Amino acid sequence: MESRIFKPVLAVYVGLFLLFLYGPFIVLGILSFQQGPEGGPQFPITQWSIFWYRDIFGLTPPSRIAPLPIGVSLFRSLVLAGMTMITSTVLGVMAAQAFRKNFPGKTASFYLIVLGMIVPGILVGLGSGLVATTTGIERHWWSTAFATHVVYTLPFAFLVMLAIFNRFDASVEEAAWSLGVSPITTFRKVTFPLIFPGVLSAMLFAFTLSYDEFSRTLLSSGREQTLPLAIYSTFSVEIHPNVFAFGVLTTLFSFSLLAVYAILMTLSVRRAKRVAIQEAIG
Amino acid sequence: MSEEPILRLEGLTKRFGSQVALSDVTFAVGRGEYVALLGPSGSGKTTLLRSIAGFEIPDAGKIILSGREITRANVYERGIGFVFQNFALFPHLSVKDNIAFGLRNGARRLSEDEVLSRVLQAIAMVGLTGLEERGVAQISGGQKQRVALARTLVMQPKLVLLDEPLGALDANLRLRMRAELRQIREQLGIPFLHVTGSETEALAMGDRVIVLDQGRIGQFGRPDEVYNRPATPNVARFLNRYNVFDGALDGEVFASAYGRFAFGIRMASTESAYAVRYDRLVARQAGSVSPAIRVSYIASEYLGAAIMHFFETNDGKVVEVEHHLSNGPPSTFSEGEAYDLTWTAEDGIVFG
Amino acid sequence: MSTIEATAGKEAAVGKTAEPDQGRSSASRSYLLIAPSVIWMALFLVVPLAMIVYVSFWTQSTFKIEPKLTLDSWQTFFGSDTYLNSLWTTLRIWLIVLVSTFVLGYPTALFVGLFVRNKTLQTALLVLCVIPFWTSFLIRVIAWRPMLGKEGAINILLMKFGIIHQPIEALLFTELSVVIGMTQIYVVFMVGPIAFMLGRIDPNVIEAARDLGASFWRILRKIIFPLSLPGVVVGAMFVSVMVLGEFATSAALSGRKVNLLGNIIVTQVGSLKWALASVVGVILTVIMGFVIAGLLRVVDLKKEL
Repeated sequence: MESRIFKPVLAVYVGLFLLFLYGPFIVLGILSFQQGPEGGPQFPITQWSIFWYRDIFGLTPPSRIAPLPIGVSLFRSLVLAGMTMITSTVLGVMAAQAFRKNFPGKTASFYLIVLGMIVPGILVGLGSGLVATTTGIERHWWSTAFATHVVYTLPFAFLVMLAIFNRFDASVEEAAWSLGVSPITTFRKVTFPLIFPGVLSAMLFAFTLSYDEFSRTLLSSGREQTLPLAIYSTFSVEIHPNVFAFGVLTTLFSFSLLAVYAILMTLSVRRAKRVAIQEAIG
Repeated sequence: MSEEPILRLEGLTKRFGSQVALSDVTFAVGRGEYVALLGPSGSGKTTLLRSIAGFEIPDAGKIILSGREITRANVYERGIGFVFQNFALFPHLSVKDNIAFGLRNGARRLSEDEVLSRVLQAIAMVGLTGLEERGVAQISGGQKQRVALARTLVMQPKLVLLDEPLGALDANLRLRMRAELRQIREQLGIPFLHVTGSETEALAMGDRVIVLDQGRIGQFGRPDEVYNRPATPNVARFLNRYNVFDGALDGEVFASAYGRFAFGIRMASTESAYAVRYDRLVARQAGSVSPAIRVSYIASEYLGAAIMHFFETNDGKVVEVEHHLSNGPPSTFSEGEAYDLTWTAEDGIVFG
Repeated sequence: MSTIEATAGKEAAVGKTAEPDQGRSSASRSYLLIAPSVIWMALFLVVPLAMIVYVSFWTQSTFKIEPKLTLDSWQTFFGSDTYLNSLWTTLRIWLIVLVSTFVLGYPTALFVGLFVRNKTLQTALLVLCVIPFWTSFLIRVIAWRPMLGKEGAINILLMKFGIIHQPIEALLFTELSVVIGMTQIYVVFMVGPIAFMLGRIDPNVIEAARDLGASFWRILRKIIFPLSLPGVVVGAMFVSVMVLGEFATSAALSGRKVNLLGNIIVTQVGSLKWALASVVGVILTVIMGFVIAGLLRVVDLKKEL
């Protein structure tokens, strides 16, 4: 039967596909071990070394190759991502909570919030830059860029929390009220612990999106650069294997974030069982 | 009733969009009563319960608890206990913490010692001693039911509402819990309002039974009253014990498509109907008695202490005849054969 | 009885226990909760976007702009071949990348969504496809340079296997390199939604069709593809929005040869030519509006999802 040939053929295709997806990264990883500082960002590997990794951390003697401007821009990116994470998660949880009931203007607010993830980065960045310039507000990573980052990440946090609340069985909240517990205390002691895995996901999403954010930040950020901007500025000049080493480190960082998230999730899920999905029959 | 009723409802009405869930519901419940609220799905019984609890706000009417009007009061300020059908236990808390939740997080601040002693009392009352530290996912359905109950009772409510509390339990457990619930209520001396879709449960548990019919009260009375003298044709239908026939009162008899029948009981009602209980009918050879309903035999069902015979009229209406085996051995019928069903006139109830 | 009710009424007036009208107060609570988000989006999204439209009509002097309304910047754009070229280039690259992500992504989605029946394996494969995303976007872009160059990995491999004898120069710093880079980066957005829709197809439907004697290609054409169409549309929307707003990939991989509308915005803002940048921004928005509206016509998403 045709499908019997089809499946293995497809399987091979998917294998090649994955190779296509991972290829550049594999090459990047290999080249990050290029000899330095004379080794260039292309094959062949003249000599294997971890020179460029040490260069990232400033542990190499000065050469004609300028070190990557990581330092303080990394700090800015982390702080910005943290601020964005907290703001968009808080706003997203509140908005999702509001969406549990009907109210006039609900559909419009939905589209307004989701709009933030649809509009491409340069347009939002352009707009922010414009507003800043014409009103005389100075552009900074912690003000204008921050506002734009939240515009981008809030829809994601919001949608995650919407999905969580969708599966949330509200009868535990009603039970708490019937026991004489006020809605605010109920939210603190019952609702929040049970939606916490979702909140964690939203926080992770927001942090990662903000940390890697580039196109919005480019036009709304002012002179002090975040990490992606700093990296971008090296593109127009020659690139060196230190960018590759940086890429590998950055990926490892992302994975460690994922690992932290997974650990936190398992811990909180063990506490909350499932997100308040009650079994009708015991 | 000599003393002031604990709960009074006056003209309670609730609409959902264009659908009327409750229409002009009025009744009162006293301190020592176990009231069963019976009705099919869609009758509004859950809406009624939720309105009393405060989860729904009625469009019109009043709810008065111990003399104080609470129609629009906050749920958490009413002092009414609610036991959910799916138990609604807090999944992230242990049995003990579930039961202690209201005491620890409510408006009144109690010392932890006081909390613990009350919790242990409640646990003993529902028979869960030894399970205090278990997680709620690790206990059985019946045990979850008791936790839900204990959690409510420990708050010393003035009234307890139960929304099909036994619906999720298996038959054996259900029968045991019936007796236990009545016992607990007796001990506490507060009224219980228990919603159920099962007529046998309602009749067995209630000191009085409210039958809800499409948002209105069909009947409110003692179980034997409801059982023997249903107030409306729909109440008779819900009881699952009556054959109900359409027609109209014509002088001293009831005229229906199946014949003209004398009757023994007359109930005032807006709908015209004639009802005879299943166990009041006997089946005889066709043509042997009059008046009678001509039917053909379909099948029989063995119920243990009785046998249910199913017959069908020419126009397809199913008529059930129940034969209690203590009255003697059952007759045998042949499928498709014609028989006459008859009964004594006193057993006939006319509505209209 | 009336005194009891009167007392109850007084309690209600004190307001401590009774809520005036649950309907009204619960709506105000909802507004309170949603207000911060709505205000934030209005201030920092809607206003900036509106500004873009407004400023596109402003007068641009060398380094300043004034709110004097004029069509100058618009005329500059449409009067210049370079700018018009970038418009066509953007559209052309968008279309090519859209088609290539579809062509490359659909078979993968087919395999993962339809042929792999084990749910865990499905998720694992999808996660595998998503993992590259955990590398910074810019790094993923730049990672193509050592692949595509004259001494890049691809050329080296091809020469080693004797497939070619001269390195292919056209791989890097051309439109092709931009297309390759973008395809690789965005193909995941096609695979995801399509795999999702394919996973929802009831295998019994395919079984039934086969029992009725349909050949596999027929089933693919008449059943599988139409059922996966909503996924294709969603994927197309994601890819389109991202490609149309692109500038980093073209900057990094084409050596300034490929100028997309996005690149123009960036360079114009760099020289403080806000008005022209705004014009390009408006054009970009209009294009995107048409694309999304057009895609939404292909399939009634609300119904299908």
